[in-house]
Amino acid sequence: MQIRDYIIRRLLILPVLILGVSIIVFALTRIGGSPIGVYLSHEMNATEVAALEERFHLNEPLVVQYWYWAKGALSGDFGYSGVASAPVSEVFWKKFASTMELSVFSALIAVWLGLKLGVFAGKRRNRWQDHLTRIVAVSGASLPLFWFGIVLLIVFWANLGWFPVGRSDAEVWDSIAHPTGFYSLDGLIAGSIPAFLDALWHLVLPSITLGFGAVAIITRMMRSALIEELQQDYVDAARAKGLPERLVLNRHAKRNALVPTVTVIGLTIAFLMQGAIAAEIIFRWPGLGRWMADAVVRGDQATIMTYVLFTSVLFLFANLIVDIVYAKLDPRVRLGD
Amino acid sequence: MKAPFDLNFRTMLGVALLAFLAPVGALAQETIVHGADEEPATLDPAEVEPGEGGESVIFHVYDRLLTVGASSSELLPALAVEIPTVENGLISEDGLTYTFPLRKGITFHDGSPFTADDVKFSWDRVIDLELPGSGYEIFSERVAETRVVDDYTFEVTLNELDASFLYSAVLTMTASIVCQEAVEAAGAETDGESNGLLSDNMIGTGPYTFESWNRTENMTLRVNPNYWGTAAFDDVRLEFGLDPDVRVLGLRAGEFDTIETDPSYVADLEGAEGVEIYAEGLLLEPLHIGFNMNVPQGALPEGDTIPEDFFKDVRIRQAFNHAFDYTAFVEGALAGFGEINPHYVPIGVFGYDPNAPVYGEQNIAEAERLFREAGVWDEGFTATVVVESGSLFEIQCLILKDSIESINPNLRINVLGVAEAVFDEAIASETVNYAMWAKNGDPAADPIDYLMTYAHPDGEWGEIHGFRDAYVNPDQIADLIDQIAIELDRDTRAGLIGEVQSLLYADPMWIIGAQEGAVTAYRDSIENMVLQPLWPRPSINFAILDKTGG
Repeated sequence: MQIRDYIIRRLLILPVLILGVSIIVFALTRIGGSPIGVYLSHEMNATEVAALEERFHLNEPLVVQYWYWAKGALSGDFGYSGVASAPVSEVFWKKFASTMELSVFSALIAVWLGLKLGVFAGKRRNRWQDHLTRIVAVSGASLPLFWFGIVLLIVFWANLGWFPVGRSDAEVWDSIAHPTGFYSLDGLIAGSIPAFLDALWHLVLPSITLGFGAVAIITRMMRSALIEELQQDYVDAARAKGLPERLVLNRHAKRNALVPTVTVIGLTIAFLMQGAIAAEIIFRWPGLGRWMADAVVRGDQATIMTYVLFTSVLFLFANLIVDIVYAKLDPRVRLGD
Repeated sequence: MKAPFDLNFRTMLGVALLAFLAPVGALAQETIVHGADEEPATLDPAEVEPGEGGESVIFHVYDRLLTVGASSSELLPALAVEIPTVENGLISEDGLTYTFPLRKGITFHDGSPFTADDVKFSWDRVIDLELPGSGYEIFSERVAETRVVDDYTFEVTLNELDASFLYSAVLTMTASIVCQEAVEAAGAETDGESNGLLSDNMIGTGPYTFESWNRTENMTLRVNPNYWGTAAFDDVRLEFGLDPDVRVLGLRAGEFDTIETDPSYVADLEGAEGVEIYAEGLLLEPLHIGFNMNVPQGALPEGDTIPEDFFKDVRIRQAFNHAFDYTAFVEGALAGFGEINPHYVPIGVFGYDPNAPVYGEQNIAEAERLFREAGVWDEGFTATVVVESGSLFEIQCLILKDSIESINPNLRINVLGVAEAVFDEAIASETVNYAMWAKNGDPAADPIDYLMTYAHPDGEWGEIHGFRDAYVNPDQIADLIDQIAIELDRDTRAGLIGEVQSLLYADPMWIIGAQEGAVTAYRDSIENMVLQPLWPRPSINFAILDKTGG
């Protein structure tokens, strides 16, 4: 099957999958009870509570509630977030930009460092450098993210004062406009080096925290794949032809080792967005993850629905992209068969 | 080629970071950084929920007609130049009309002049908008008419006599004076819907101007150099969204100058370098467990063996009050920072009677006697108390469980800890499906607010919990509280409040575990730290704090 046909087929299936996911998520969130609690305050009287129920159609049967929700979602209205005290659609993109910026930086760290370490270890199989890299990789994969984050917080924020928590300095934030919601990008657009550096400076601790686990996974994957490729006949043939080891590695073995690693990288980025919850809570990063955590604690079902639906769609797209990249890297892969 | 580029980039980044950090460090010297517990949901006085995080910033940016100082609950003039009394003629002879002569020459932060029209506009706006969850009922239930007499004289007429009007209405954040010109310029406002300007903007006359609000992160307030009163010392930055542990960590590290905390963190902070603990006075939010006599038939949680009207028997309510281990709660959960207070007037509020009887010590023998008399001793019972999980209130419930079950294993208390939203939903409806629930009372400046809300047979909780059918003599209690509401003579009023406290002791509708101590922690570079429970949480007035000590 041609890649184009494959993409079209997958995109056609997508709405059905989204519909299925939305019904499941809606049903699951409603099992937890009515979403009214997050909108209530102790000052409200019974009439006001009833008015709220009517406003959000909570006095209607569940199927009708779902219909209203789905109708709203199709027109871009995902309900009202009690946690953010604003419509979900108004808040969502700001939070998304925040989490995306963190995920992208974490991914950059993870991919760059993971590939470097993987190749470094793979080339030096069973030597002390390889063992050391594996220790780093194993610790990255096994250390709980929240624990690692708290250690960084205590050492680099509370004790040394080198890096801040939060997403920006109040003075700097106020000094520029934020058209994209990506603070580093906004700094560049505004031509403000302090704003750009402030954004990077705030990204350091949460990005390392979030990226560390992914570094470990990518390192291990790249190492194993490279070792396997280096044992292939074509590598021996290349060496026998007198090709320099640098070229054998970079032009042949590394490229082929990337094929399985890319699958992991693609899924890792989607996982990073989900894993951001702990990093965002620890470092007070105002993204989707922290919003979601608050929403779960306070029963903000409009937010939970949107978040779960969004991450489901994200995974569907991530898988699609991974498949395409996979096919591009390895012509032997036949999509849709 | 790669390594030198990386090195150069790193070097450049390092230099730029240093250059960037230097001015930030210098700015921090003049800004009080406060680790806040709760972020405002709105900044609009007409929309803010009493007791919610927005009240604190409204307190600093807006003024009200009257205020209270740091050291007492005595009313002081603010935008009004005189406090209305019957004696000075500013309260009419029939006690219904209050006249406020206003301060002249004041301007709002946007430069608009302040006049009586702004006062009328502000109060009418609260009543007309009638925003759900706000404190609009504070005005709508009391005020019959507002009038502008002249540019600097404002009058308000009440529906009925109200001895607490100045404390319970004029002093609240809902009564803050907003700028009519600015609000009207932002568009029309209809019933139930504001034009949104004041939800995330503040234009007041207070000691601070509103600078910026980066939602979920921080808010900056600047010193108002043109303030009519004593100008504030330092700018303020409120940092939001931090766990209590992180706030404590940040205070120790010097990242924050002040934090909102509670007594349970005092042990972590005592003796920390550069950290001071302030622990004086008490919060006006009694920690209580309510008895519900109005549970719908068959609505009690599975496992409860009590009848729906279990707590109608006054002996059982008394027995619970005698059984509770107050010492364990105050010395353990509150780390010693708390006091026992009587039903239902907190210490520090006008009319609190230090001689009123209190359930301050666990009296197991008396509890046993009462349980036996009520006929539940041998058969036993299981009752559930619902509470927000992970809170101080949950500890109070666990102490109740221990207290009751240690007397007799047949007497069982289930503590049902639930998420905040679930708890709010459970107790926000007209009927509550649990026999008991725990939380704290809403703070107030006048005793009538507590008595109407938590003791009157036909008051807020009286109706929900069915006090009228449970009090031994509901009319006597209702009459007394109604009298307290309208009695203008302070001595007579104080006597009536003392009287009702004794009645409520004998016929308790709550277990009042304690009144929590007013505690905060701050850096030693901060001078003039005072907590005044009548100021909105965290009860700090940043305008009087001096970070530099200069």
